[in-house]
Amino acid sequence: MTKYLVNRILRGLFSIILVVAIVMILVYSCLDRELVFASDPSFTHMRNNAKEAYKYQRWERYGYLDYVTYGDYLQQLVKDGTLSQEMYESVAAIGDTPEQDTPEAAEYIAKFIEEYTAKGYEDVRLSAKYKPKTVRYHEGGEPRLFVYKDIPLINRLWTYLTGIFKVDNIHYVEEDIEDRGISFTFYDPVYGGEKFSPAIMGNGTQHKYLLYFDDTFPYIHQNLLTISLGTSYTVNTGVDVFQTMTQTQGAFKNSLVTYPAVDANGNHIQEESADNLHSAIYIAGSFGSGNPVVDQRYVDDYTNVQVYKSGLSKMGYSFVIGIISVAVAYFLGVPLGMLMARKKDKLVDKLGTLYIVFIIAVPSLAYIFMFKALGDRLNAAAGTSILPTTFDMTNPTWMMYVLPIISLALPSIANLMKWLRRYMIDQMNSDYVKFARSGGLSEGEIFRKHVLKNAIIPIVHGIPGSVLGSLVGAIITERVYVVPGAGNLLTEAINKYDNGVIVGVTLFYATLSVVSIILGDILMSLVDPRISFTTKRR
Amino acid sequence: MNEQNLINLDEFNLSNDELFAHVDNNSLDSEKITAPRYSYWQSVFRVFFRKKINIIILSLLAVIIVFTYVYPMIIGYNPDVDPFINIMDGYSNHLTPAMEIAKHGFSLKWILGAGGNGESTFDAIWYGSSISISLALICAGINMTIGIIVGSIWGFSRKFDMFMTEVYNIVANVPYILLISVLVLIMSASFWTMVFAMTVTGWLGIAYFIRTQVIIIRDREYNLASRCLGTPIFRVAIKNILPFMTSVIVTLAATEIPSYISYEVFLSYIGMGLSDMSLGKLIEVAQPAMKTVGWGFEFWSPVAIASIITVVLYVVGQNLGDASDPRTHM
Repeated sequence: MTKYLVNRILRGLFSIILVVAIVMILVYSCLDRELVFASDPSFTHMRNNAKEAYKYQRWERYGYLDYVTYGDYLQQLVKDGTLSQEMYESVAAIGDTPEQDTPEAAEYIAKFIEEYTAKGYEDVRLSAKYKPKTVRYHEGGEPRLFVYKDIPLINRLWTYLTGIFKVDNIHYVEEDIEDRGISFTFYDPVYGGEKFSPAIMGNGTQHKYLLYFDDTFPYIHQNLLTISLGTSYTVNTGVDVFQTMTQTQGAFKNSLVTYPAVDANGNHIQEESADNLHSAIYIAGSFGSGNPVVDQRYVDDYTNVQVYKSGLSKMGYSFVIGIISVAVAYFLGVPLGMLMARKKDKLVDKLGTLYIVFIIAVPSLAYIFMFKALGDRLNAAAGTSILPTTFDMTNPTWMMYVLPIISLALPSIANLMKWLRRYMIDQMNSDYVKFARSGGLSEGEIFRKHVLKNAIIPIVHGIPGSVLGSLVGAIITERVYVVPGAGNLLTEAINKYDNGVIVGVTLFYATLSVVSIILGDILMSLVDPRISFTTKRR
Repeated sequence: MNEQNLINLDEFNLSNDELFAHVDNNSLDSEKITAPRYSYWQSVFRVFFRKKINIIILSLLAVIIVFTYVYPMIIGYNPDVDPFINIMDGYSNHLTPAMEIAKHGFSLKWILGAGGNGESTFDAIWYGSSISISLALICAGINMTIGIIVGSIWGFSRKFDMFMTEVYNIVANVPYILLISVLVLIMSASFWTMVFAMTVTGWLGIAYFIRTQVIIIRDREYNLASRCLGTPIFRVAIKNILPFMTSVIVTLAATEIPSYISYEVFLSYIGMGLSDMSLGKLIEVAQPAMKTVGWGFEFWSPVAIASIITVVLYVVGQNLGDASDPRTHM
């Protein structure tokens, strides 16, 4: 069994990697890269050479190419010590045209181009653009010099895959800091240093808190291992996809926060704030840079904190709605399917078939809108919004979950009814049922003890899939009821050409689908001992 | 015994030899099996039309097809050159059927009111359905043909099975929406792009379904016997397995065709659909009108017509699928 499972998991990983590769080919190679500027307001304001340079900067951020300016090159030389600061200033300025370069600059420019073209880069030299009949530059008309190289798919794939899991370590911080290391405390300073709450803290690591306790589920949290699925550029600028899906949304949730800094009396500064100090991340040079908000509250460079918000995360909302609708679907669909099979060709069966036909044939959009319209009618009749048709994160009620859950549960119920009825009727005609009947068992007994047990096996296979599938969210339902869930992330990313999010979300979907099939097989073999994935020894 | 039924042999005027001639035992005749003549497709339609509901549904389908393909041709409908389009005139736009009939007099054209530009909702819907139904039929045709051919080979060949299962695992995990939107962006949101986008990987699901069916039937005893007697694989596939699959294939077509219409509506709703005024596009355009009191007809009528079309196609297909199962021909 273990050998089989390892084999399955490895093959699953292989197909996930290939899926990511295919999606990367689709978004990076097949799509015109000019498209990323379609909805970029700053792009339309740019002019001339600046616009051209901006394009390459953005493409570097979106992961299309590697882009190095002449200035970057010189600064690297200064850092390495091969170029003095005075020399840097004399060669940094490039001429309006290549002919107007100063001799010293021309020497370094030639070296720059030679060095990078040897590595396969293309060089671009943009001459200055003047306003007509003057020597003043046009807006953005300054001369530019840079080199760029397209990132090949295999490199992009490798960097992406190796960057998914990041283990925090004490050598993360490049600057010189004192006391690099990991410390353990029983009294978490976030709670004022008096309450018993163990925590592991790091210095020199990316996160300040590596392991800590708090009062939200699952009570123990870690920052040691972070998952990054790719950075977003337009959907949620600068934030990782995984974080976009898991961070809380809505209004700020304030509480009394004890900051690390002490005031004149030696007491820690306490303040009503939504800051989550446990999420503190190292930002080089952020402390003591003259920002009073930071300088008064913190004592080191671990100043970048997230905030507590009152709502759930995108994935959280999708999961709550999804998991309840899955539960409702199994709770109603299984008994109804059984009833239909039991009363085959009777009224119940016919009504059930009518319902199944309706759900399968009618576009899902139609009945979701129908339920929304019904909810609106009901609210209008009652005068108040007893069955909210839009989601409101600031004053949540349980009633606002009702309509999305119904909309999601209806098709799953129909599907379950359809298949369970089919499987049960197929089982009814098999020989062991005839034998049981001739042996004198009652119809009810045959149904519960024999037919159901055999017919439920294929249904069981789908349970992990539907549970994990509820993490993904539903596109139409979430749009229609304005649920801030994860379902629309992919469509939003496609509409905004956010390549990072597209790849990250696809990886997430593919992983869920592979995992749920493997879990389904395991569950099936647990329920039915006859099913075995290991080759039998005789 | 009844006296009157007795026949007087003298009436025939035949000699005794002629009356009682000896009939030889003909070995050729004894091979013939006397049974009522059986024609498969005749029986399919006999069973299909035995249910009265099928005749009603089929006539409904005929009406839909006439309205979809013949009606726009008769009135010469062109979505760009509609004489009633008037963006400026607020009094001719977003009218309910009653107001529209009061304005232009009663005609079939106005029984569903007017849209946001004063155009007839009724005409627009049928023009839109011609696009949507054509799309569904073409996509289903291509996907089912490729799917059935590949699926049967997939089911038969064990080597091909290993390879195709891996391909299926990979391709099935590439989000369909992403594939369609990338193809639409590379080419254009035209009808044939959409056909290409829906068929480029769409056949895989059908092929996988057929493969499972073939595997179930492939190893049955009668096929084993057939192969032992030396029947070539191809003949086994055509003569032994295909007839078994007819009802499965028809049932599959019944779910496939409406699903393409639904999917087209879904894609248009999320803004990745066709640029032509298909049913989905109509629903998407009319979506803001749903919230305004009195404008509801614009939104609900294309939704209702789309639902009626899909339900009718589904029911006809399902019942045809039931009828094409030889076990129901008794």
